[in-house]
Amino acid sequence: MIGESYRVLFRSLVRRLLLVSILPLLVIASANFLLFYSLNRSIVLEQHASLLSYHRQSIEAFLASITAELTNLAQAYSLEELRRGDLERVFRVIQQQGIVFTDIGIIDSAGNHLKYVGPYDLSGKNYRNTAWFAEVVGKGVCVSEMFLGFRGVPHFVVAIKRQDKGDFWILRATFNTDYFSTLVSGARIGKTGEAFIVDSRGLYQTKTRFASALLAPSGCPDLTPHEGIRVRRASVGGTRYLFTTTWLSDPHWMLVFRQEESDVFSPLRSATLIGIVMSAGGVIGAGVLAVAVARDLVRRIALADREKEALTQRLVATGKTAAVGEMSAGLAHEINNPLATIDTLQTWIRDLAGGAPIAEEDRQEILDSAAKIGEQVVRCKAITQGLLKFARRVESKPEEVDLNALLAELATIMRSRARVEGITLSTDFSQVPPVIASPSNLQQIFMNLVNNAVDAVAGRPGGEVKIASRLDGGKVRVDVADNGAGIPPENLSKIFLPFFTTKPIGQGTGLGLAICHGLVHELGGSLSVESVPGKGTTMTVLLPKAPGAGQRKTENA
Amino acid sequence: MSQGRILVVDDETEFTSTLGKVLRRRGYAVETRSSGEAALAALEEAPFAVVVLDVKMPGMQGPEVLAAIKRAHPETQVILMTGHLSGGAEGDVPSTGAFAYLLKPYPIPDLIAIIDAAVAETPGAGG
Repeated sequence: MIGESYRVLFRSLVRRLLLVSILPLLVIASANFLLFYSLNRSIVLEQHASLLSYHRQSIEAFLASITAELTNLAQAYSLEELRRGDLERVFRVIQQQGIVFTDIGIIDSAGNHLKYVGPYDLSGKNYRNTAWFAEVVGKGVCVSEMFLGFRGVPHFVVAIKRQDKGDFWILRATFNTDYFSTLVSGARIGKTGEAFIVDSRGLYQTKTRFASALLAPSGCPDLTPHEGIRVRRASVGGTRYLFTTTWLSDPHWMLVFRQEESDVFSPLRSATLIGIVMSAGGVIGAGVLAVAVARDLVRRIALADREKEALTQRLVATGKTAAVGEMSAGLAHEINNPLATIDTLQTWIRDLAGGAPIAEEDRQEILDSAAKIGEQVVRCKAITQGLLKFARRVESKPEEVDLNALLAELATIMRSRARVEGITLSTDFSQVPPVIASPSNLQQIFMNLVNNAVDAVAGRPGGEVKIASRLDGGKVRVDVADNGAGIPPENLSKIFLPFFTTKPIGQGTGLGLAICHGLVHELGGSLSVESVPGKGTTMTVLLPKAPGAGQRKTENA
Repeated sequence: MSQGRILVVDDETEFTSTLGKVLRRRGYAVETRSSGEAALAALEEAPFAVVVLDVKMPGMQGPEVLAAIKRAHPETQVILMTGHLSGGAEGDVPSTGAFAYLLKPYPIPDLIAIIDAAVAETPGAGG
């Protein structure tokens, strides 16, 4: 039963310790996760955006530079010079400068190819009906979208219109997209992050990191031109992607950075995994610690309880000695009084028997005196026998006890003391079931209560002490009442405290009621007090009846 | 033998009556009472040289009776007797004004000797 209560304590300690250690851990871990999630996301988006804007600037700068280069060329040379052979030279010079274009050519206002330098055979082709031709005629400059053209290879065109003597001609260079592909595909992040360019139809304009074919559909979710940088999430072929897009000012190309979402948030995943592992470690650690701390605490509490138990036992023993001492004062008086009478009677007998011969009336007197001695002896014997009967109850192990019998014995020996003090000690017992308790502890409880009651009325005219027993709500109730001065209200709360006493120094230990209280509680009962100043005090003990009591007939001693 | 009258006070009437008979046989003039109140009444009627007084009695207790006697009859000597000693009262004998403080049962010859000594202390006692 005691072991069980420690186990309950242990479990409750472990629960509380776990709660106070794991709860903050989980709160911090969740907060960290959310913080890291938003931080990671904003860093990733920032990274994509800056990468994209950097590349857009590079591409725009490149396109601007080749446009400027071709414009200069068209201005610097006349049509005749170029047709004569300067175009070949210019082509070489420009290529030496590192600008990679495939070929260069001159086209007249009718769309006829006048001059061509490059690997393809395009002489005699007419471009009148191409989109770029219309655009360059209209705007003077054109950077085209990518197309296959006559050569059947994806390329785009930069064309410059040159006004010349009421007519115009066009300087046209074509670029394959390798350069852009190299430029753009250099932007790589993570395992799946790749940059590429699409045209307004969403077709690849550059090779991608994962080698999608040029002019293949890219699957970009939104092809509406927009300002600045935009982020979109979309599912392509069952995979979720994060698209970061920006539009070039001219031509209508969209620069795209695309990364699988799982890849984008892979640092988050690994951080989450690490977090979970660490939290789990923390939880396990906290658990181990909680168990260790709880075990240590329970061990200490159990030790303290044992020490307290030992102390209580010593206290009970001390209290018992004190109670017996108090009682023995009354007993001594009760025995010494008859002894004094006996002593006087034997002196009287000696006096009477001293004369010889003994007169008849003296002989009768001697016999009377001897009879009186006998009476006094009977009186003494009653006291010592009561005491012996009382003292025989030394059993400290709990057993079934008939309270009325025990109280009757107590009343017998306490009556001697009461009589000395001029007190009437009466009993009023009802039939009560037995209780389970150590008789020696019960004796101590009621001896203390009766001693206190006798003390309360000692020396007061008409002092009365009453011991009553009855069944009260399924419990055995014993009232020890006196009609003394009562306990002042300010002391009522203190009477069960150890060492609280109102008796003169040397006459009360202040342990009696404290011990009673402890003993009664140990028996699963309760001890209460009711006191009216000037009217008296009633101490009430409620004890649980023995299990199964009631079926059996109470055995009276 | 003695001019002094003796008053024996105790609620144990068997004790007082027997002690009275023992003392009378030895020539003392003895009266017995069974309470402090009755003892004080007897003292009012006629003086006593010595009072043998029980400490624990119903009603007025020995020390109270002693104080009353010492107030009203300072010349009367009081011998206190008790069934048990408590609170070291024996040590306080001079201050309480008692001639002696004896624990029952006190040997009767010794008690008689102390009564004689007390009578001798009484003012006006001859011899």
